Amino acid sequence: MSILSKSRMSGGAKQSLFAYLLIAPVVALLLGLVAYPFFYAIYISFTNAVVGNPGHWIGFGNFEYLSHNPAFLNSISNTIFLVIVSDGLKLAVGLGLALLVNQRFVGRGIVRSFLMLPWAMPAFVVFLTWRLLYQPIGGGINLVLTGTGIYPQIVDWLGQRSTAMPAVVVATVWRGFPFWFVSLLAALQSIPGELYEAARVDGANAWQRFWAVTFPGIRPVIIVTTLLSSIWTANSFENVWLLTQGGPSDATMVFPVLAYFGMQTQRLGEAAAVSVATLPILAILVIVATSLMHQDDE
Amino acid sequence: MAGAAALATGGLRSALAAPAVLKQGSKLTFWGGLIFSEGANKLLADAVNKWGADNGIQTEVVMINQNETVQKVSAAVQSNSMPDVLDLSLDLLLVLSQQGVFLPVDDLFDSVGKAQGGWFAAVDKASSPSLLGGSRTGIPFGVSGNLLLRRKDLLEPAGFKTAPTTWQELVAEAVAVNKPPLFGLGLALSNVGDGNLQVSVLQSFGGRIADDAGKKAAIKSDATKAYLQWLKDAWDKKIFPPGNTTWDGAGDNQAYLAGQAAFIANTGSVGIAAKSQDPELYDGTAYSSLPAGPKQKISPLQPQLRAIPKTSQNPDAAKALIEYLSQPDFISAYYETAIYGPVLQAQTQFKAFDGSNPIHAGLLDLVKNGTAPGYPDVYNTAYADTANNFIIPKMAQRVVIDNWDFDRAMDEAQTQAQSIYDKYK
Repeated sequence: MSILSKSRMSGGAKQSLFAYLLIAPVVALLLGLVAYPFFYAIYISFTNAVVGNPGHWIGFGNFEYLSHNPAFLNSISNTIFLVIVSDGLKLAVGLGLALLVNQRFVGRGIVRSFLMLPWAMPAFVVFLTWRLLYQPIGGGINLVLTGTGIYPQIVDWLGQRSTAMPAVVVATVWRGFPFWFVSLLAALQSIPGELYEAARVDGANAWQRFWAVTFPGIRPVIIVTTLLSSIWTANSFENVWLLTQGGPSDATMVFPVLAYFGMQTQRLGEAAAVSVATLPILAILVIVATSLMHQDDE
Repeated sequence: MAGAAALATGGLRSALAAPAVLKQGSKLTFWGGLIFSEGANKLLADAVNKWGADNGIQTEVVMINQNETVQKVSAAVQSNSMPDVLDLSLDLLLVLSQQGVFLPVDDLFDSVGKAQGGWFAAVDKASSPSLLGGSRTGIPFGVSGNLLLRRKDLLEPAGFKTAPTTWQELVAEAVAVNKPPLFGLGLALSNVGDGNLQVSVLQSFGGRIADDAGKKAAIKSDATKAYLQWLKDAWDKKIFPPGNTTWDGAGDNQAYLAGQAAFIANTGSVGIAAKSQDPELYDGTAYSSLPAGPKQKISPLQPQLRAIPKTSQNPDAAKALIEYLSQPDFISAYYETAIYGPVLQAQTQFKAFDGSNPIHAGLLDLVKNGTAPGYPDVYNTAYADTANNFIIPKMAQRVVIDNWDFDRAMDEAQTQAQSIYDKYK
């Protein structure tokens, strides 16, 4: 009996070992490509490393320097504003279009494909095109506004503090809404039609059907999409860089652009500190989203 | 001219009298700086490959967009994958030389200089060992810098036959021809390299980035206030094209080529583009050095250099290649298609600088009469860091975009610059 049991244990241990061996390459890959760069970035944010010199430990020196940098302080509020406003708008546009395209009508497939185009285009093409549209002289938006008489004055969309960030938000929303749209459309299609029929029988109007049936059905997808989109928006570089380079007067300065400026000056420690400073914000976002998902699961 | 050529060639022979023994069959990687002239780029790549073939060395030429040099070189330094020879700006050479990235090339600097009548004083000073960690770490091969481009076809009918000599005259002329959508003054005030022209304007008004020791920020001053007053007055006259506070690196180029600016400051690439895209604009353009301010004339030159990383596996071949690329036969032809001014006295006799090409004539004038990088400030890593953080263009933006008063804008710039200088103590 004991020999048999020992033999079984040995077989189980072998199986476990084999399983560990199978996942070892993936674990090594994750450690090498995710964990190592992540923790190395945190480490060098506490050093005065520059290109060609690993530097030495300086504690919170880089963070102290950043805390006195007006561009960094502006980048905090700008990044939060950009994430909240653009993701709010992406939700509104994406959900509205998903509800619309979820209805049956002729050419629905073509419309769905067409709405995915902004997401399919390379980001630099999108934002350079928006830059051309925003041009004060000869830009498409000003031509339409002045040509139709809606607004006779030329507007320097990217060159004024009052309009620069809204202009960046609009371009960011245009580029990002298809991800929301397709995610929410998939969620809408997974809601059983019987639930709507039951709600109708109970006398629910359209608004009540949305809140009682549609919204609970798509809520988990909204949470996950919000989480992913917020992280992408907070880390997005091309939109601000190609439109304004963070200007005018830091009106659109965000974390990734500031980190890029740090890299331009070869000061790796400082650049890493800018990126590391975003971690608490993103961590809060992830924790909130994860707890909401857990609530849904329960 | 013949005498100078003989001087150059004869001198070169003596410089090459004791060539290093090159390892046959060895490899050499060269990163060349891609410029706005396809002809020049091809000429450079072909020359390197021909030299390799003649000397039994396998060459690999990679042309790097100059806007991406900093990122590519930084990544290469960190990953220990630098080429054997590379072209780079003085800014980058300065920062990396402080970290001991490059081999000393003092001997090569001396031999190349001796072979061609000596280095121009400003070029010599700009690449001096005192800036670069104690040794020459780069061999200059060309000089660029801002020239003032003006629409003479518009200005001459308005009574302005010659180039403006002061910044105040420039504004007066810009106001005279300002008829939107043609704007008088196409200077960038954005967070890009072109925006840092404002540093030169500030210095010409007597303003400074730091003290004479190059240790303590000195932006806040009456001279800086005078510069800001000049800028605000010009801004209020609405002579800047809209959007210039967020222009990218090509903003002034595009504005000038689109006929939206009567004056711009540019390295000459716009002239090259106009020559092929808009010959009428090219003919209607005149070139001159930057105007002077009330205190002095500041027209900084920016040398381009070739350097050899210490990680090079083939340093002798790298030196030989740089020496080859400095020879009159190649560099004379290169200058004719490139947008660089000369670095050596004998090169002034080259056909490119005979005065027939206004852009090259302007670059020659820049080399002869321009100021050393950073002058009157000390050109050190803190100064370069201040420029890379666009402290002065941002101060200008505070005044024209946010309507801050001059003292508040200067205070912010002073604080930021001081925190940068403190990092290098």
